[in-house]
Amino acid sequence: MIRVADLVKSHGPTPILRGVSLTVHVGEVTVLVGPSGGGKSTLLRCINGLETFDAGTVTAFGHTLNGTRGRPHPTAALLGLRRAVGMVFQQFHLFPHMTALGNVMAGPVHALGVPKAQAEATARELLARVGLADKANHTPAQLSGGQQQRVAIARTLAVSPKAILFDEPTSALDPVMAREVLAVIRDLAARGQTMVVVTHDMDLAREATVAHKMVAGRIVSSGPPNAVLAE
Amino acid sequence: MKTPPQKSLLRTATLVAVLFSLTARPAPAQALPPFRWGTDPTGGAPFNYQDAAGRPTGFEYELAGYLAAKLGRTSVMVAGDWSKLPEQLNKPADVEKGVDVILNGYELRADLAAKYGVSRAYYAYRVALMVRKDQSVIRDWADLDGQRVGVLGGTVANDYLVRHHPGATVQTNEDVANVIQLVADNRLAATVQDNPAATHFLKEFPTLKLAGEPVKAGYYVIYSRKADVELGRQLDAAIASGLRDGSFRRIYEKYGLWNADQDELVGLLDTPWPPADLAAADEAGSVWRRLLPQLLDAAGVTLMLAFGSFPLAVALGLLVAVGRVYGPRPLRVPLGIYVEVIRGTPLLLQLYAIFYMLPVFAERLIPGSAGYFTPFACGILGLALNYSAYEAENYRAGLLAVPRGQLEAALALGMSPGTAVRRVVVPQAVRLVIPPVTNDFIALFKDTSVCSVIMITELTRKYNELYNFNRDLIVELVFLTAGLYLCMSYPLALLAGFLERRYATTGGRS
Repeated sequence: MIRVADLVKSHGPTPILRGVSLTVHVGEVTVLVGPSGGGKSTLLRCINGLETFDAGTVTAFGHTLNGTRGRPHPTAALLGLRRAVGMVFQQFHLFPHMTALGNVMAGPVHALGVPKAQAEATARELLARVGLADKANHTPAQLSGGQQQRVAIARTLAVSPKAILFDEPTSALDPVMAREVLAVIRDLAARGQTMVVVTHDMDLAREATVAHKMVAGRIVSSGPPNAVLAE
Repeated sequence: MKTPPQKSLLRTATLVAVLFSLTARPAPAQALPPFRWGTDPTGGAPFNYQDAAGRPTGFEYELAGYLAAKLGRTSVMVAGDWSKLPEQLNKPADVEKGVDVILNGYELRADLAAKYGVSRAYYAYRVALMVRKDQSVIRDWADLDGQRVGVLGGTVANDYLVRHHPGATVQTNEDVANVIQLVADNRLAATVQDNPAATHFLKEFPTLKLAGEPVKAGYYVIYSRKADVELGRQLDAAIASGLRDGSFRRIYEKYGLWNADQDELVGLLDTPWPPADLAAADEAGSVWRRLLPQLLDAAGVTLMLAFGSFPLAVALGLLVAVGRVYGPRPLRVPLGIYVEVIRGTPLLLQLYAIFYMLPVFAERLIPGSAGYFTPFACGILGLALNYSAYEAENYRAGLLAVPRGQLEAALALGMSPGTAVRRVVVPQAVRLVIPPVTNDFIALFKDTSVCSVIMITELTRKYNELYNFNRDLIVELVFLTAGLYLCMSYPLALLAGFLERRYATTGGRS
């Protein structure tokens, strides 16, 4: 499970997170909702170690990051944590010099040292699961936004993370493409994948196990999605 | 050189000419312009140099003084680049750097004699083979096969080596002192020099000796304008009197240059001049058959320099760029200094430092290591280092242009920072900067010509060398050489265009 305790972070004099604590249990889908600028995405990036924080701790599946006051996190702790917790970005960040298949194989081959043949078999299965078996040899530039985001999800799944963080996964997409991506995320939820999702999509938020509403760097309410969203 | 059959008629004519010039004494000195003689004082001892007190001296300096006095004019030395001295005669004498004659160990040569007025010979010279005393590999001329032999570019010694010892690797340089120092340092096996230079430098370098007998090579003459018939006549008369009255002998003995060969010069004064068989020495029709393969060989050296150095420059530049963008501060600072120092100093100076200075330090650290600093190795190293600074800046720009999200996505997959940079950021940066990098390759291609200063005979150097002996072919040689460069660099431009199009299609940003 993931436990965030008393997380504090500021950019210079501007506070971003003012003591955030939350717990994500295995098999749960957690959504972070709230107005823009409330610190949702920053919290997600802190959990994955892409941002440092000033005080507090993040513990995920036995790996702990502590507040560093600006200094970088220790590399060993980051590596362990990131192999347990994957991340999907709003802007996809597919590798443009690789095909869709190459993108999905990149993590297993370059991060985990899985033999190429084995990684390719897994990658093709995952592309089929997100409905893109026929796009394996396309480059990102040849794919639509929705297709790119589905490849990005398959890429994250390929390293078998225990939890996946989604940072506004459908915000850069039009409604039709967003639906394709939401279908994939629902499928993951149905399989019991632990997920933390930052979203403005109310339909997706209602299907979560638990929702946290963030305003100005604090969690202002937590609980069943319908109750939190009703406020 | 054969002496043509003497004809009494000609002898009489010459005698009359000599008598005429002796009786028709020139007018007082103040009425005549100075006697401006072109020479290359950097060519050094014993021809023209400065003594310990900084005063100009040398056997040719004294010779010019003697001739000027005979002409009733004041002697004015005009400094110029040795290989370009004859061109000085194409301009009027009274312009800046203008000369009346050139006098600097110039040999009697058919091609020059065809264009310029030739004086009587003032010195009969030989070419001598100089080697180190502590070696026994080269005992005579016959042992030159497969050896690296240094020589002054564009001289008869240069031509003699190429024609008579094709097995030797000839390396040309502009400066006699440089070549001899390289032999003393065991970086060249031998050098071929005119005997005046050899005699002088044997005194300065006690570790050197002559191998075999010096070979008779030809005569030093003075060249003037063909139209200056009167000056030519006066010069011949002055040379004749200097040879006959022992004045030249006294000058030559002072510099240790007198030998029995010089006695023949007096006899030659009564023969037709220039000798009738001079033109036959160079067969005219086959000239391109001889030149073209040499130019093509030199073009091959240019190709090897470019293709040998640029991959190194790219690899080194990429490492430096990665270090500057992602390395820790203690690494970033020295790498920044490296780039600025290399970018801020001329390639020419860097090549000099690598070829002449570095081996001296290397030899002190590891005795015997100086031999590895061959001209070609130094050329590759110099070009690679110089261009690595430019490539480092190209790649730094490329690395910074890759969106930060790419690195984050790779890190989020669990890649180590090193793997993420190597597998995700660098491949994209390399593609982004293909246009400036290929542009630099074409620039480096032409910069290979700078390597000629460290004795590499590449295309430009070869052009210069061939031009020295074939001055009538300047137009053909210039266009042929330029054409060869273009034939090599244009395909590179095409390749660059292909690479840009090939990788542009996969360049979609995310």
